Amino acid sequence: MTPYFNAVATTLYSIFEGMAVTTSYLFRRPSTIQYPNKLEKPLEEQLSDRYRGILQVDTSVCIGCRICEKTCPIDCIAINLEKNKETKERFLTRFDIDISKCMFCGLCSENCSTCAIYHTKFFNGATQNVDELVVRFVDSPIVLYKHRKDSDPKTREKDLSGVIVKQKMVKQRMKKQKTAKQEMPVNKISKHKIKEEIL
Amino acid sequence: MPESELKYLKPQALAFKEEMILNMGPQHPSTHGVLNFLVVTDGEVIHQALPNVGYLHRGIEKLAEQTSYTGFIPFTDRIDYLAAMFANHVYVLAVESLAEIEVPERAQFLRVIACELNRIASHLISTGALALDIGASTPFVHWIRERECINDIMEAICGARLTYSYMRVGGVSRDISQKIVDDIYKFLDHFEPIIDEYNRLISFNEIFVRRLADVAIISPVDAVNFGLVGPNLRGSGITMDIRKIIPYSVYDQFDFDIPIGKGFKGSLGDCYDRYFVRILEIKESCSILRQALSQIPKGDIKAKVKRKLKIKENECYACVESARGEMGMYLVSDGSDRPYRLKIKTGSFTAMSIVEKVSQGLMVADLIALIGSLDVVAPEIDR
Amino acid sequence: MKENANLLFVFLFKTPIEGSGYSLAWYILFVFIIAGALLFFAANFAGITSFIERRIAARIQTRVGPNVVGPQGILQWVADGIKLLLKEDLIPDRADQFLFRVAPYFVFSGLFAAFVALPFGYGIVAADLNVGVYYIFAITSLVVVGIIMGGWSSNSKWALFGALRSAAQIISYEIPTALSLIPVIMLTGSLSTQDIIKAQGGLPWDWFVFHSPFTFVCFVVFFISALAEGNRIPFDLPEAESELVSGYNTEYSGFRFLVFPMAEWANLWVIAAMVSLTYLGGWQVPFVSIETLSGSLVLIFLSVAVFVIKTSIVVFIVMQLRWTLPRVRVDQMTQLCWTYLVPFCLVAIVGTMIWMLIFPWETRVALLLRLMMFGIGFAFCFFYVRRIRFNYFNDKTAYENLKKKSPWYPIWRLP
Ligand code: SF4
Ligand code: SF4
Repeated sequence: MTPYFNAVATTLYSIFEGMAVTTSYLFRRPSTIQYPNKLEKPLEEQLSDRYRGILQVDTSVCIGCRICEKTCPIDCIAINLEKNKETKERFLTRFDIDISKCMFCGLCSENCSTCAIYHTKFFNGATQNVDELVVRFVDSPIVLYKHRKDSDPKTREKDLSGVIVKQKMVKQRMKKQKTAKQEMPVNKISKHKIKEEIL
Repeated sequence: MPESELKYLKPQALAFKEEMILNMGPQHPSTHGVLNFLVVTDGEVIHQALPNVGYLHRGIEKLAEQTSYTGFIPFTDRIDYLAAMFANHVYVLAVESLAEIEVPERAQFLRVIACELNRIASHLISTGALALDIGASTPFVHWIRERECINDIMEAICGARLTYSYMRVGGVSRDISQKIVDDIYKFLDHFEPIIDEYNRLISFNEIFVRRLADVAIISPVDAVNFGLVGPNLRGSGITMDIRKIIPYSVYDQFDFDIPIGKGFKGSLGDCYDRYFVRILEIKESCSILRQALSQIPKGDIKAKVKRKLKIKENECYACVESARGEMGMYLVSDGSDRPYRLKIKTGSFTAMSIVEKVSQGLMVADLIALIGSLDVVAPEIDR
Repeated sequence: MKENANLLFVFLFKTPIEGSGYSLAWYILFVFIIAGALLFFAANFAGITSFIERRIAARIQTRVGPNVVGPQGILQWVADGIKLLLKEDLIPDRADQFLFRVAPYFVFSGLFAAFVALPFGYGIVAADLNVGVYYIFAITSLVVVGIIMGGWSSNSKWALFGALRSAAQIISYEIPTALSLIPVIMLTGSLSTQDIIKAQGGLPWDWFVFHSPFTFVCFVVFFISALAEGNRIPFDLPEAESELVSGYNTEYSGFRFLVFPMAEWANLWVIAAMVSLTYLGGWQVPFVSIETLSGSLVLIFLSVAVFVIKTSIVVFIVMQLRWTLPRVRVDQMTQLCWTYLVPFCLVAIVGTMIWMLIFPWETRVALLLRLMMFGIGFAFCFFYVRRIRFNYFNDKTAYENLKKKSPWYPIWRLP
């Protein structure tokens, strides 16, 4: 008989204790961060500086050693170098990173001797088109950086918030949309023209 | 159900006309990922439950043969997404023992700290998800809140919240600052009373206890025969922990217990034992963390390792005590810069084999509790 | 009913109904008005409760809850309803088309019919049936018919599981529900809801809960079995979402799906109102006798307020139980019913009988005993608050260190 009543007592007591815990949470602060529109401070500030977000490349300090390209386990960095035969200057003509493939592992940025490639805190780069996620950091050939004794490129100011790469991605998207407009079907263009003529 | 799978069902299981074949998963809320169980039931009572794995197979072992030794580290994160640090650890241990690299002491301590934090995070999910499977959703969310603190610390240590890629061959990738050490201390101060609160909320709740006690009992003999590892094995009362038996890293410098199942509320080796062993292990991890933080020496965090690592023909086996038990990697090198063959041994895969044995005579709801208490993670089963 | 209709007619048209020749038409119209009002109340209550429950559950789980649609998310339930209405009404292949379609209506009508006999205040009840309480429990059993139909006709094994669990559950729990009301009926001598409330008093020690230890046991049993009838956690076996995907309503979508959760939340009111009217004094206003209550319109509104507040508190407790407790297993559910609740009830019935004989309601000793019972209840609440404080301060300093914020964030502070 005792186990029978003991069971009743322990059940009721454990429910009582559980209820006290849940009730106390009605007076305790919720831990939700109301992303994206009710943040106390911007999310980028809440992330640690080591956060491994979308990669950014400062092409002005890249020495063209291609270590990042080689260490990347999934080959999502593509670098092209060219050499001017007369002046013997070397140029960086292509530095693409395919963010859609990148797994943000940090192997590439770790080995860069000038910190030209580094992770920013920018993480929400969603687009509607996968092709847009290939970020091209070189628009026109850039002369490669050479190590100088007086300056250490590692200590320079970095764009950790990722504004530059964000703008770059937006710009690329706009460009794509523009070219898409030019390739519009003929009848639509003619309709536009008619409208313009009327106006 | 395809004809080809029917042949695995026992003939006598299909002899009764009263029985029903139930396909549980792969899109079932409580199978912890994409798992499939072929359940033969008579009403609520299960006659046979066949686990059907392979829905999440990604060929990680094969991928290792095509990437360099260092380049494979990010892939090990994906073996077990809840406890990525252990896969990191066992892989670098294997490579280091093949290449005969000495790891600096500070790096070893950092590894232990990261691993123990990860063990807490992983056990939080497993115990919370078990409560969720039993029907209480609040404990799970409370644990998620605590895990979020750990994730923040992890983010400060290595820059990612889930796929850490923290360890490197010969050390770790980043050092920790005094601020992070303070943060971990603060977190532990906050977390240890919360464990008791959690116990009051759910662990000692009589309904919860009765759902788990005396359910799906795995005897110690069975546990060994089926190759269970980690908390599942310890839940059956067998003291077996790689950290104590083959101390790797610096685990021999710490003083900690191995909690084992004692039949806390029911009999030895039931679901409640497996559950409660995890709760006790969380406490042990906290004490290991405190010891590691107070003893951490100064020094390098990474040994000198060639960038293009080539290892002469050799083979080795390394194992760690992961959150889901012994996780081992068998690595064969052939003199090139890539592994010749990598075999990964995980705890969840062996845990799946026992489901068929113990599930006979359980109820459908008990099967859910059994899966939850075994703490299987689908990507770890299939790799 | 008829008198009320007459009164309203006189109030609206300033002529007595007898000579007007519209009496039958007016009565039918009146019935429709009342039914519409009840339906309106039940549907809105279900919606608003769903919103409030989500907010409370969120705070219990240290979340915020829906707060985007409308001010503080108050229109979330409207948005959800509209969303579900716009969804395609899918019927699974090889389902029993007809049964699948009608099942939600059984659930719907079974629940809303219960509102007819539920009082809201002094004299405010659609039909003061002389079998009131038993009518409510009989008619809500229609819900299980709908659930079984829906589960069986879905042609899904999960739905079938849910339906059969529901059948087992509701059949078992009808018995303790009915038995645990017998002490109340013995004390009142009537089955009518209004009479039951009138037999109690406005002050807590005049409620039936505190009448004797036996009625207190019956109250607990009644509360538990009402939870089970309403498919609330810990007895939400028919739609155990972690076991049976979604139970009996797995295959439903769109409006037909909407009916099930709506019925569940409307049922919450039925449970809470039943608990508060049978054991917690219903609409009785403290320090006001029934004679004065009937005289003044203000006091009648006050009685409505009292009833709503009491019911809301019970609803809140039911909600909180849901977010605290795990779910019982199917065999434990029936075991609990037959080995605990029914024997307790039978003992309590006999006990109440003897208690009534020894200490009749009006005597001084009975009042003293009731006061003592109330004291015990009060002490219980006191310890409850103590435990809440303990849990709060247990974490306070460590939390402040960790987050650099005070943990004090009471529920009325809206994020
Ligand atoms: S972060 Fe990793 S995956 Fe991404 S580009 Fe660098 S090395 Fe490659
Ligand atoms: S980014 Fe760094 S590692 Fe990559 S090519 Fe430039 S300097 Fe070398």
